[in-house]
Amino acid sequence: MNEDRELLPELLEDLRALASDGPREAPPHIEERLKIEFRRRKRHRSLVAWSPVGAAAAAAAIALLFWSHSNKPAAGQNPPVTAAQPIAPAADDVSEASFYPLPEAEGLPAIENAMVVRVELPVSSLQLMGVPVGEERAGASVQADLLLGQDGLARGVRLAP
Amino acid sequence: MGETFWNLSAERPESISKADADRRNQLMLESPSHSDGDLLRLLGNGDERAFLEFYRRHQGMVYRFALQMSGKTDIAEEVTQDAFVAVMSSAQRYDSERGSVAAFLYGIARNFVLRALERERPYVTILDDPAADYSARMGREAAPGQDVFGELARNERLETLRKAVLALPPAYREVVVLCDLHERDYAEAASALGCAIGTVRSRLHRARALLAEKMRAGERCAV
Repeated sequence: MNEDRELLPELLEDLRALASDGPREAPPHIEERLKIEFRRRKRHRSLVAWSPVGAAAAAAAIALLFWSHSNKPAAGQNPPVTAAQPIAPAADDVSEASFYPLPEAEGLPAIENAMVVRVELPVSSLQLMGVPVGEERAGASVQADLLLGQDGLARGVRLAP
Repeated sequence: MGETFWNLSAERPESISKADADRRNQLMLESPSHSDGDLLRLLGNGDERAFLEFYRRHQGMVYRFALQMSGKTDIAEEVTQDAFVAVMSSAQRYDSERGSVAAFLYGIARNFVLRALERERPYVTILDDPAADYSARMGREAAPGQDVFGELARNERLETLRKAVLALPPAYREVVVLCDLHERDYAEAASALGCAIGTVRSRLHRARALLAEKMRAGERCAV
């Protein structure tokens, strides 16, 4: 034991030498792999975040298709209520600027023939789009207008007036 | 209804605050010194630059810890990668009140190291020399004009010590690596290992005694 005590200062000195010995950095290829993984996760996360909007847009597109193939209602009657209904936009009502642009629509072709579809969305999905909505309403649903292009894909969204 | 919580045409006060937040994050990244906590928050929000800065700041520490714990460069690389992948998904869970960022990282790396050592255990044979891989990486030559024999003796001694550290049971090895090789204090080591400070102190005392014993035995053999 006494021998151990004598050895201890020497051991601590050797441990200090061992601490300063050896590689200080991880090999560079690890950073490259992590960069790829980070980007993959980021893409996946944004996809997950936008899926409710995508689902709403898909529902709207289906409803639009259904509506366009159904009979028009008799004059003076309201159209049948569906999950999403195209609204007859007033000329000043459809300016693209009044819609909050959807990031996933950035790569889509420019709008030639627009259609505005009214849908009911959970407030939480509006928050995911970055639309400023009060936290106290997070559980509620709101009526929103989706701006669809000629391809049926959503370009923008706004709260129904 | 729309006016109450969504007013796109008017001032959009909350959008402005979001823009302010983005600008603040940008400034935070451009500032020469920003805290690890800030970087973790930013990388948790998907900021790649913040992640890279955080990685570059801490990768050496994590890599060396894994290498000194395992003695194998392939495990050290795997652990470093896995630890930072874990950081990507658990950055938001970091709580500065529960310990330092270093302790947080050591804790993650330690779990991966122990898992890797457990996985490798059945494949270790008596022919394996866990220090060999590490030593090969360390390989040094004496500089011209240096005391060649002194350097040789020193290297041999360090090699014996490295093997002795790797031969310690993991519970003792990790306190030696953290407290002696990484010079972390007892509190930080305890936080990383998820145990009491007293446990760290007693394990370190026991581990040093074991190392001293092994070194003494090594010297006897050499004589």
